[in-house]
Amino acid sequence: MSIDLPAWSEPFAEANRERLRRGGPWGRVERDWAFGEATGRGVRVAIVDSGVERDHPAVGGQLVDSVAVERVGDDWEVVPAQPMDVVGHGTACAGIIHALAPEAEIVSVRVLGPDNRGNGGAFATGLWWAITESGASVANLSLSSRSDAYFGPLHELADEAYFRNVLLVSAANNVSVASYPSLFAAVVSVAAHDLAAPDAWFYNPQPPVEFGAYGLNVDVAWRGGTRMIVTGNSFAAPHIAAYAARIRAAHPGITPFETKAILAGTADNAG
Amino acid sequence: MTDDGRPEALLAALEAVAARAAVASRLEPPGGEAVLQSVVDAAVVVFAAEAASIAVHEPDSDRLVIAVAAGPQGRAAVGLAFAASTGIAGYVFSTGQPLAVTDVGADPRFDRATAETTGYVPRAILAVPVLDASGSIGVLEVLDGGSEGSNQLRDLDLASVFARQATVAIRAGRVERDTAGLLRSALSTLGAPPSPREQAGATPVPDVDLDAAVSALARQLDDEGGARLWTLADAVARARRASSDQVGLVIEILEALARRSDRPAPRSFRR
Repeated sequence: MSIDLPAWSEPFAEANRERLRRGGPWGRVERDWAFGEATGRGVRVAIVDSGVERDHPAVGGQLVDSVAVERVGDDWEVVPAQPMDVVGHGTACAGIIHALAPEAEIVSVRVLGPDNRGNGGAFATGLWWAITESGASVANLSLSSRSDAYFGPLHELADEAYFRNVLLVSAANNVSVASYPSLFAAVVSVAAHDLAAPDAWFYNPQPPVEFGAYGLNVDVAWRGGTRMIVTGNSFAAPHIAAYAARIRAAHPGITPFETKAILAGTADNAG
Repeated sequence: MTDDGRPEALLAALEAVAARAAVASRLEPPGGEAVLQSVVDAAVVVFAAEAASIAVHEPDSDRLVIAVAAGPQGRAAVGLAFAASTGIAGYVFSTGQPLAVTDVGADPRFDRATAETTGYVPRAILAVPVLDASGSIGVLEVLDGGSEGSNQLRDLDLASVFARQATVAIRAGRVERDTAGLLRSALSTLGAPPSPREQAGATPVPDVDLDAAVSALARQLDDEGGARLWTLADAVARARRASSDQVGLVIEILEALARRSDRPAPRSFRR
């Protein structure tokens, strides 16, 4: 049976990984040098998602700010929010990041909630705040927009993040409709590989999805202090976001471009 | 409508047609629904699942309503409605991000209340968005797929193929469903059903521009930012009153648009 699946994870599957082997222009970059013992201290990660449950043990008290996007008339506004999660998904991402970069600060930008359902406007407004106001140098986007109307605004925001030295880490979306910003060149786009290894990631030299990380049967934090076993590209992105935070902590002042290059150089298929 | 007797007669005839169309569509479900049912039937077999269902979004109430379900544990769920931005299905619908939960854990508060109303609480959920060009229009869920040790990433990709079929089926039923809705709204705008006082003597047809009223109602059928089927249909219908010069202008505009559309879109690439 052969079906044309929009399978961004396929290049990272066991049967295909041999093809990813590459020397690259500089060989393998040692992880000890890239981030070593860095814990993410001094780096703030924004999680644009369903909110983050501050008191969940997996978040380790690292949530420093919570905002939400709300509709006010015809506009969207960012307002202070309770440190809660309407689904559990944002808390899952926060837990993954905290487990790998325990001293990274976490900022929650909730773009889901009543009236915000699937709205590109809420997402774009939350992303704008994450880039310009949150103080984060890494933003995890385990969701995206499929609205063509927001192709332009989100493209502009992806460039804005790049120029403002904020790294956007975006989960690829295995659906038949193009989704943004995961397909933009300025972001780090991530799909799931099929290894049960949080510290394994692969660089795919064939864009748009350039990184494969742990996203299969991941034990994650969820709403109400619970945990679940889940699968999806959504959970691969925060693994890369966490390592990016550690790289940025170890090398203050480096750019998104340099961070991406180090992620490629330290990938399991490098060298 | 110069004859005082004709508006009431026309209105009564329209009401009679609308009533019969509503009943007939219940007796003989639209073709799209049969296809939708076959999609979940196939999903249950392919995933060896306890249940599979498709929830369709109702914009008016902003709820997801389970339209079809299959499998030993699925049938009781048909008609169940839940908020469009909470729970696993709500998250997948709101973000368009596919998600698999292998084990919902010991205390799955996410949507236990909803699940319990169907008499069945699953341990594993595969949820993918049903998408059209405007974004999510529903969610396909597969509960407790039985293939032990299956690759959840591959399963998500495969479920997305089923979701694409669901999209086609839902779109196919849209014109039929919307036409019935448009007829009902138009009759309501015209003052039907007439109150007893109106029946006693006064004309039941308010003094409104009927065509403009129907035009406004038709355009309301399109979601904000979505595929604007009815807006286009309305514009074309109104253009039929144009003079031959104006029609010539419309043709020139359409031809220019067609030439532009023929060019390859820069973001329509796939792998």
